Amino acid sequence: MGQIILGVGDYGASNSPEDEIKTFALGSCVSVIFLDPKSRTVGMAHIALPDSSINSAKAAEKPGYFADSAIPALLKQMGAMGCDKRGKGMIVKLCGGANVMDTNDTFQIGKRNALAIKKLLWSYGMGAIAEDLGGNYSRTVAISVAAGQITLSSPGKPNWQL
Amino acid sequence: MSKKISQEELQKIVASVPMLSTCASQLLHVTAKEDHELIDVIDLVRNDANLTARALKVVNSASFSLVNKITSIDRAVSYLGERIVVGVALGDCAGKLFEKELSGYEAKDGSLWRHDLRTAIASREVALQGGMDISPALAFTAGLLHDIGKALISDYLDGSVADAVEIVSTKNELNYLDAEKELVGFDHTQAGYELAKAWQLPEELAEVILHHHEPSKAKDEFKPLVYAVHLGDNIAMLGGGGTGSDSMRYQLDNAYTDFIKITPNTLATVMLNVDIEFTKLESSLNHSGGGN
Repeated sequence: MGQIILGVGDYGASNSPEDEIKTFALGSCVSVIFLDPKSRTVGMAHIALPDSSINSAKAAEKPGYFADSAIPALLKQMGAMGCDKRGKGMIVKLCGGANVMDTNDTFQIGKRNALAIKKLLWSYGMGAIAEDLGGNYSRTVAISVAAGQITLSSPGKPNWQL
Repeated sequence: MSKKISQEELQKIVASVPMLSTCASQLLHVTAKEDHELIDVIDLVRNDANLTARALKVVNSASFSLVNKITSIDRAVSYLGERIVVGVALGDCAGKLFEKELSGYEAKDGSLWRHDLRTAIASREVALQGGMDISPALAFTAGLLHDIGKALISDYLDGSVADAVEIVSTKNELNYLDAEKELVGFDHTQAGYELAKAWQLPEELAEVILHHHEPSKAKDEFKPLVYAVHLGDNIAMLGGGGTGSDSMRYQLDNAYTDFIKITPNTLATVMLNVDIEFTKLESSLNHSGGGN
């Protein structure tokens, strides 16, 4: 089984059934997962921040880092693999976006990430059918390309599926 | 399963940790003083052949992409800045502690060092961008040391991660320190403070170690520094650089606004800078052999 490990700001896709796409320890970052049932392609982006306007050079170098550059980049890569270029027919799932206990909103970066991603998906006419967002713990995510099965894990908790 | 630590045992654990080298200890004291100068740091490093060699190795590592090799220690220290020199010195004499696997938190070896390095960078960024009147380099050093107590109590928490998570979730207020105290008798801030005393760390660093989760309890004169590391720690955890099971399971003390000006946009910039700087420092410090 091939393992594709995505770090912060990375994105990637595979249509090899033996592959697994994995990302470790999402905190406030959000993992966007696209599953294309038609071509059996799976893609994921590990998004750190909502908006690339704070550093466009970084967005050019690592598009997966920001919501507004990651989603077009992932769709483009999957488009080149035979999927619809605007994500038509794809299944979308989201996870991550944790927060720390903050009553004045500044540190609700996980929530802002999730919101920015949802707005962007909406502009493509896409929406998540499943999500595991928020909370106060880190998540590791693994997807098997063959089954499209998403497994989440967090220290001290039993694994769960999305 | 977890095992309670008695006061005597804690003292034994602390006594079993190697002391800091004279040079590292002096570096921590000199750089904690407000009126110190870079030349004071250079003089200390120059007198330690091992640290001189490591500092030269770091500055000439690929991460700093120098065109011409630096061969003088004066220039190496000026180029690296005191914070990185302190980081190299600490990694050098306490590397084993920082590198330790934290099985009691389900965190692999190296996680503590990476979390501490992220916190150090984030605390410095907070000091720089939050309009603070504290030394950014001292915030960096304090960030490096803040969680050292985890290395002391982790073995005793082994096998009880699920219990700890359960304990935290049943309390009214999210605070992993409660779980540590309930399971082993001490939390990581108390254990770290005992080590800070044994190492005779400057008082401001000891205060950070003891109060980084409850900064309002710090002495008034040290509060700005403690709040900077409090935010730095939270930023490191949010960025995915925690130490396993305790990550994000703490309270954020909103009184930070009394000391630090930070907006959602500044926070985003800080988080981005932390990722960029972390990648650079992690690989260069690895080349030094310290920290790994």
